[in-house]
Amino acid sequence: MWAVYKKELRNYFLSPIGYVAIGVFLIVFSLIFYVTNISIGAYDMGNLYYNTALLGLLVIVPLLTMRMFSEERKTGTEQLLLTSPRSITGIIFGKFFAAVTLIVITLIFSLSYYIVLCFFKAPNLLPTLAMIFGFLLVASAAIAMGMFVSSITENQVIAAIITIVALIIPSFTGLLTVIDLMNNYQKFPAGIISLSEVINLLAYAVMFILFTIIIMQRRKSVK
Amino acid sequence: MIEVKNVTKKYGSFKAVDDISFEVNDGEIVGFLGPNGAGKSTTMNMITGFIDTTEGEIIINGNDISKKPRKAKKQIGYMPEGVPLYNDLTVKEFVNYMAELKLVNARHRQEKVEKVIEETGLKEVENKLIRNLSRGYKQRVGLAGALVGDPKVIILDEPTVGLDPKQITEIRDLIKELGKNHTVILSTHILSEASQICEKVIIINKGKIIAIDTPENLEKKVIKGNAILITVEDPKNNMENLKEKMPDILDIKLEKQIEDGTKQYLITSKKDSDIRKQLFEILPKEDIVIFELKKVEATLEEAFIKLIENNKGGEE
Repeated sequence: MWAVYKKELRNYFLSPIGYVAIGVFLIVFSLIFYVTNISIGAYDMGNLYYNTALLGLLVIVPLLTMRMFSEERKTGTEQLLLTSPRSITGIIFGKFFAAVTLIVITLIFSLSYYIVLCFFKAPNLLPTLAMIFGFLLVASAAIAMGMFVSSITENQVIAAIITIVALIIPSFTGLLTVIDLMNNYQKFPAGIISLSEVINLLAYAVMFILFTIIIMQRRKSVK
Repeated sequence: MIEVKNVTKKYGSFKAVDDISFEVNDGEIVGFLGPNGAGKSTTMNMITGFIDTTEGEIIINGNDISKKPRKAKKQIGYMPEGVPLYNDLTVKEFVNYMAELKLVNARHRQEKVEKVIEETGLKEVENKLIRNLSRGYKQRVGLAGALVGDPKVIILDEPTVGLDPKQITEIRDLIKELGKNHTVILSTHILSEASQICEKVIIINKGKIIAIDTPENLEKKVIKGNAILITVEDPKNNMENLKEKMPDILDIKLEKQIEDGTKQYLITSKKDSDIRKQLFEILPKEDIVIFELKKVEATLEEAFIKLIENNKGGEE
């Protein structure tokens, strides 16, 4: 798992994707920071993280996940990966955690806004950390879903579009709210870690990781 | 040692590989020959565990690829068709990544990576991005990826496709060198390649094995008689009657008429008789002047075509 993890993480920074993802996150985060905090003089960061999760992840998650398996399949490098002694599960987790690590990096950057607010009135640290933890769970669940999408097509663009659509439809149209990740990011922005939200998000992530494993295993026999 | 036992691969009702069995012993170089779409790549993908077999089993040095994939895959170095590589990595990063994937012990990894880069002649480009390399170098990088960690079995899918003649010779020499202490399976549709480097040839067509033998034996197998190509000047058209005078001749066929008035014939005679001496004696008496005479050696090419044709005949 770690071999794949290291290589994938490095690849994010060898290609522009890692920088673009972090850049986009910071732009979205800054704009929302202006709207939810600066312009109205609020120091609570709940709305900031909520709206970034709602809007920012739409861009960042597809960026991070669209290449994961589709590119490997298209260029044939999956043959190198899958004929190595590494297990499919290990490979999938390696890729998954590399993307999650990128989110962790962006979240560390987001702490600089906390520091900015400290100059005026320090927000409570623990609730803020709860928001960030929740954000990480939402992002992980979205990454797992994006990774699954990437495993079913060899076209990166299609992978990205399906991922975006799957994130947009439940959040913005009210359809399929069962799979709406934002439904499970309601209490975190208030600084509360709700067990049901944690479990739902984790279950969502685990489900899509399992789907990905099944798809990759199955491809061995139908291909 | 690789044992392939009654392996079948089905896609729906289509059989890409149909009940094939063969063995490859340690230190052998085996060539997989067949026309495009014969099932060569499918077979290699099954041996390397990239795809599952529908039926049958594949055992690599005692480890079943589907039951003990980790142990079995550890012994294989595979260069897939088309040589897929990670273009964003440098040569060294790529080989190192392959070593990590293949569970090469971290302590020896650096040294093994260096060794393989040295062996495949990549030292001068080791810090270049793979995307900027020429085709020949890319092929070597693929080979380096397959070789790193000293796997006992090397499987190469069309290793010389797309290379220039000099590079082809280099890669072939490298493969021969590898054959000294590895088991090598390679696929190719270039027959001369197989007869040059392989000790054993497996000919496969439409998913079925139609012959397993040494290149020499295969060549011998298809020769039904001796063939002689002869160019003559024959103003009286006496060549047609030659058959009556020389009972050993099975067949005389006009191959082509050359502009200067000479004709080229292909003469086949019985297997155990050499009619060249007789020809030199008899033809002048018939007012035929010999311009050229040569014995035709059967090639693997002919063996191949003949075997495949026979195979077709058998099906119909």
